[in-house]
Amino acid sequence: MSLLEIKGLTTEFKTDGGTVKAVRGVDYHVEAGEILGIVGESGSGKSQGMLSLMGLLAGNGKVTSGSMTFDGKDLSPNHYNTKAEKKQYEKMLQEIRGNEISMIFQDPMSYLNPIVTIEKQITEGILYHTKCTKKEARARAIELMKMVGIPSPEMRLKQYPFEFSGGMRQRIIIAIALANNPKLLICDEPTTALDVTVQAQILELIKELTQKAGTGVILITHDLGVVASLCDRISIMYGGNIMEEGTVNEIFYEAKHPYTKGLLNSIANSNVDNKEPLKPIPGTPPDLIKLGNECPFAPRCSEAMEICTKYSPLSTEFSKTHKCKCWLHCAERYEEVIGGKADE
Amino acid sequence: MSETETRKKVKPVKKLAEEKAGPILEIQGLTKYFDAAKGKMVHAVENVSFTLERGETLGIVGESGCGKSSMGRTILKIHDSTSGKIIFDGVDITKFSNKQMNPYRKRMQMIFQDPYASLNPRMTVGEIIEEPMVIHNMGTPKERRAIVQDLIQTVGLKPDHIRRYPFEFSGGQRQRIGIARALALNPEFIVCDEPISALDVSIQAQVINLLEKLQHERGFSYLFIAHDLEMVHHISHKIGVMYLGNMVEFGTSDEVYKTPLHPYTKALISASPVPDPELAKTKKRILLEGEVPSPLNPPKGCPFAPRCPHCTERCKQEKPETYSIGNHKVACFLYAPEK
Repeated sequence: MSLLEIKGLTTEFKTDGGTVKAVRGVDYHVEAGEILGIVGESGSGKSQGMLSLMGLLAGNGKVTSGSMTFDGKDLSPNHYNTKAEKKQYEKMLQEIRGNEISMIFQDPMSYLNPIVTIEKQITEGILYHTKCTKKEARARAIELMKMVGIPSPEMRLKQYPFEFSGGMRQRIIIAIALANNPKLLICDEPTTALDVTVQAQILELIKELTQKAGTGVILITHDLGVVASLCDRISIMYGGNIMEEGTVNEIFYEAKHPYTKGLLNSIANSNVDNKEPLKPIPGTPPDLIKLGNECPFAPRCSEAMEICTKYSPLSTEFSKTHKCKCWLHCAERYEEVIGGKADE
Repeated sequence: MSETETRKKVKPVKKLAEEKAGPILEIQGLTKYFDAAKGKMVHAVENVSFTLERGETLGIVGESGCGKSSMGRTILKIHDSTSGKIIFDGVDITKFSNKQMNPYRKRMQMIFQDPYASLNPRMTVGEIIEEPMVIHNMGTPKERRAIVQDLIQTVGLKPDHIRRYPFEFSGGQRQRIGIARALALNPEFIVCDEPISALDVSIQAQVINLLEKLQHERGFSYLFIAHDLEMVHHISHKIGVMYLGNMVEFGTSDEVYKTPLHPYTKALISASPVPDPELAKTKKRILLEGEVPSPLNPPKGCPFAPRCPHCTERCKQEKPETYSIGNHKVACFLYAPEK
């Protein structure tokens, strides 16, 4: 059984402008010790999917269908309907968050509480989830700070976030996330706010931790360079859908979806002759309020066909790990979708 | 509108690059210190020298806080320089007053990093693009409107976008508005301060291609500030690498990217993630220890000495000069000529 299994997750937000279907029936699974990369542009639903799992959606957000199972526990809020069940769900999540599942957020500058010492912020989660004394929690905090590479931890524990640089703050956030040896670590753009040389240090640290402790990791990012060097498998998201998923090599060398190909083409790759003009994907990402059942990429796709603008494509399997949702690869199966409506 | 259609509609503007001689911009020993609390100084830019040829792009790379944006702003005289010379088109503008600068401001423009913060939310797109021309008393309102119409198509937006407000646009479109505003005065030199870092991957390439197309057609010279090495290598003719206010390496784009000399450049290039899994496996990463020192209190010797794997006693005590190896310049004792 997988550590985490998400099937058909759909998340919606009610806004004044209409209902935003941010996540549209996505499947993920993560094994222990594996790094899954979720790649997508802003607004593709990559973060909202994970927030749904953690029960951290904004007030107007709701999981409308799908199932999420983590380590044998049912974490799908849509399966808990009565008041008592909802209470039970909240209680269960409280036990899991920061304990079995931890999350690292994007912006190290705004995530830490500026008026609380680092010691309190690291030990808070330890004291909540484990039975231990303050002294033991402090010892654990020092151990964690050493692990993430913060020099002279005894002294630094007494300091406040503003006394740390961006890279150091991100290390503290990682230390907090690892405090209770989580089974699953969700990293939402962990290095976007950091410089390249510091980014390399942090990524190396995450990799080391998975290999040592067998933690499963979900890495949400838009940087294809980062996923190439770190991940085992990749899911490419666009407009709330997973367009393509596969192992790193399958995605980078045998990409099937026009969007994946477009993404790979639009980054400057200096190992190829670099004075060729870049090949951008024309247009802009879709408006999720207006987006219906069609393929979300159709308006920007160079190979779009009539059917793409009407019906959602089927998933085609190329190998056990490699799947792609595109009409180019499932055109012959169109009857399954259209059924009797083909003559219209 | 497609890219080719846009291209046809652009009037062939005379190529400035071919007409005049000499570099468009020459910087000699530019230094900028900011006052900080307790009488301390932030050493933002330290003795930087380079030349930018007409119609070329100079990429400036470095980590946050290395002074690359401060340098761009000092060159445009948004900040006054502490010392050094800024020679624009053969004229030393370092000590010019605001009034004296006026005719030069038209010729040098800036594209900002954050397309959300750099456009006035209460002005329409047309007003935003027209504003620089109003300030510089260019043309009649009718002529100005015609230029705005023209520009909006040049940057790939639609004519009916003129009456809309910035909030109605996506990040990439806003950046196009920012570019159109910079073009309004028909400048010769544009400072692009991280113009793509706030944009999505698929949109970044659109903006880069637009900048390249405009340079090709109008002969602009760019100072392109960024931290994305791959993109800088792609768009630049020359690259300068900055560390803690110092220009530690300078050379042609390929020289710096393919045969870096300075240990910092080497580490920077090795740390940038390659979007190719096989290559990423074989690539040797030089992992730097620690972080950039504070510019309030820069090291006495080489700024990179505390993190450098090749650091010697001399590096800690003495600041290296810039040594030339052909056209490739590097500030590191490893390349000092033998005495």
